Amino acid sequence: MNDKCFEIGTIQAFLDGETTSELSFRLTGHTAECGRCASLLAEAEEENSTVFAVLEREMNTLVPTQRLWSNITVALAEQKSRVSFWEKARGYVFALFANPSLAVAASVLVVAGLFAAVWSVRTPVSDNSDLAANTQISNVGVQDPSSQQPSEFVSVVGGDPEIPTPPAKAPLQVKETNHSPEKLRKLVTNADYRPAADQPRTEYAIEYLPGEESYVRKIDDLKQNVDLRKDLILDPSARVAYERDIAVVNDAIKKMKEVVKKNPKNQAAKQVLYSSYQNKIDLLNSVVEREELMAALQ
Amino acid sequence: MRKGSLKLNICAVVVCFAAVPVLVAQTPKDPIPPKPPKAEVEQKPEVRYPVRRPPRAPEVPGDTVEKALAVDPQVNIKLPCISQARVTINGWNRNEIRVFIKNGSNVGFKVHETDPKSGKPVWVLISRQPAGGALSDCISGERIDIEVPFGASLVLSGRKSDTRVDSIKKISLDYAGGNVALRNISGGIVAKTYEGDVSVENSGGQITLQTSTGNIIAYGVTPGEVGDVFKATTANGRITLQKVEHRQIVASSVSGELIFNGKFLSGGIYSFKTSAGIMKLAIPQTSSCRLIASYGFGSINSEIPLKIITETVSGGGKSLNAKIGEGEATVNLTTNSGQILIIKQ
Repeated sequence: MNDKCFEIGTIQAFLDGETTSELSFRLTGHTAECGRCASLLAEAEEENSTVFAVLEREMNTLVPTQRLWSNITVALAEQKSRVSFWEKARGYVFALFANPSLAVAASVLVVAGLFAAVWSVRTPVSDNSDLAANTQISNVGVQDPSSQQPSEFVSVVGGDPEIPTPPAKAPLQVKETNHSPEKLRKLVTNADYRPAADQPRTEYAIEYLPGEESYVRKIDDLKQNVDLRKDLILDPSARVAYERDIAVVNDAIKKMKEVVKKNPKNQAAKQVLYSSYQNKIDLLNSVVEREELMAALQ
Repeated sequence: MRKGSLKLNICAVVVCFAAVPVLVAQTPKDPIPPKPPKAEVEQKPEVRYPVRRPPRAPEVPGDTVEKALAVDPQVNIKLPCISQARVTINGWNRNEIRVFIKNGSNVGFKVHETDPKSGKPVWVLISRQPAGGALSDCISGERIDIEVPFGASLVLSGRKSDTRVDSIKKISLDYAGGNVALRNISGGIVAKTYEGDVSVENSGGQITLQTSTGNIIAYGVTPGEVGDVFKATTANGRITLQKVEHRQIVASSVSGELIFNGKFLSGGIYSFKTSAGIMKLAIPQTSSCRLIASYGFGSINSEIPLKIITETVSGGGKSLNAKIGEGEATVNLTTNSGQILIIKQ
């Protein structure tokens, strides 16, 4: 035995797995060299095995004894009795706001409250005012029987920039009325107003020449295909040539459309227009066919 | 009513302000665990078309191969893929196919069908012979020479090959690029090349020539049968037709010139179109045809006297309906801004 020997308590703690890793390392190193400590360790292990064998059934039940339960219950009761009302309330509130959704809801409530307060302060309050009479109506087709102005609707026009759109009329704006609330209610009830989605869509059909529509559709289909792939299919020189040809054809189509628009009976212009459409189809087709060929040669 | 709502609002504000300090004091010890990432909205994959550039043929010098196969004189031969090479196909007076490839891929014959009487192949495929590590079935080489019987019909596809074909019966050719020269083909031609010139000489039958960025030249072409059509289409090249004796000719170029030098045959229907190119028709003074010209913003000039039937000269929609001689052939001329010239031969 020497000064480095460990006490039995430490050895017991080691056997119970309660020592630190550093201490465990030192202890095992020491017992390898010290015969006394090694025998102490062996004795302690033997005792442990004996005790654990006897207590095995009790320890494996994993059920706390009745005394332990009663002690726990008493301790909890004492702790509860010492907690004040405010602490309880604080705990409750903290628990409540620990939920993020509730916190967000509270924030929304705060903002809504602030907005309501500001709105209440800014809106003049008048006892004789009627909500209907103060409402500003704009862009709504309230037909006023006293005025002969026809009701108007917000027109919905397609998004195609090429489709000519008629100039929008100034919307009817009713800023103030002198009608009685009953009359106003009647007017509003009978107003021929529909939401924008339900309004009759103003269609400006493009007037095609006979057979022109099929050309246009075909070109649209081909163009979608070609635009996606032309960068992959055409090398730079071919691409330049293609774009130049397309520009020439587009220019011809544009000019001829104008001519035909001015004089729809001009058969020569129509023929040139159709020819230009066909040229465009041929150009687009050549790209598609080339792509198909390259794919087939893989 | 308004007062009541005002009070209610004020009460709500007071309650809210009371809640503010609580919220401020609420400093969670543990940061709120981040929510598990939501499943990402399935986005449509971007449409990306694979680059359809085929693997290049080996540039390294390959083998020099020569192979031959006895075939039927009317054999049909198919070369499904020719990669970069200089191709020469000649007809010869032997019932045999011979393929010679200099510094290129190995090649083989595949007989699809034989003649039941003679037992000789009537349908042959010439393709690259599979080899370890071969990336493509395309035939490639520095030079490919093929000899076939005079009566052979060929079908060729390729990437970019300069090809000369002489003295066979029929050919159908589809190239991504390269110049094509065809001579002495009696039974019909279909030649498409997207970047390159196409020339046809002393040939006959139904003929279709197409290129995107090249010129088309046809000289001494005759129909094989009544009703055979000659068609030539290019985007920005020049079309030159000389002594083309088909009774139906359709020629179209977007921005290139169109030159016709020949006769308008009786009963023939000729259609020439350009968008911006010049149209020159060199015909005999004794021609008999009816001209129907629509020339948009272009012009028309004739060295041969025309019997004008109708004429419109309004800007953008100019047209001319006229006769030369008895008007036995019909000639349709359409251009947007090109010039039409009718000149004496």
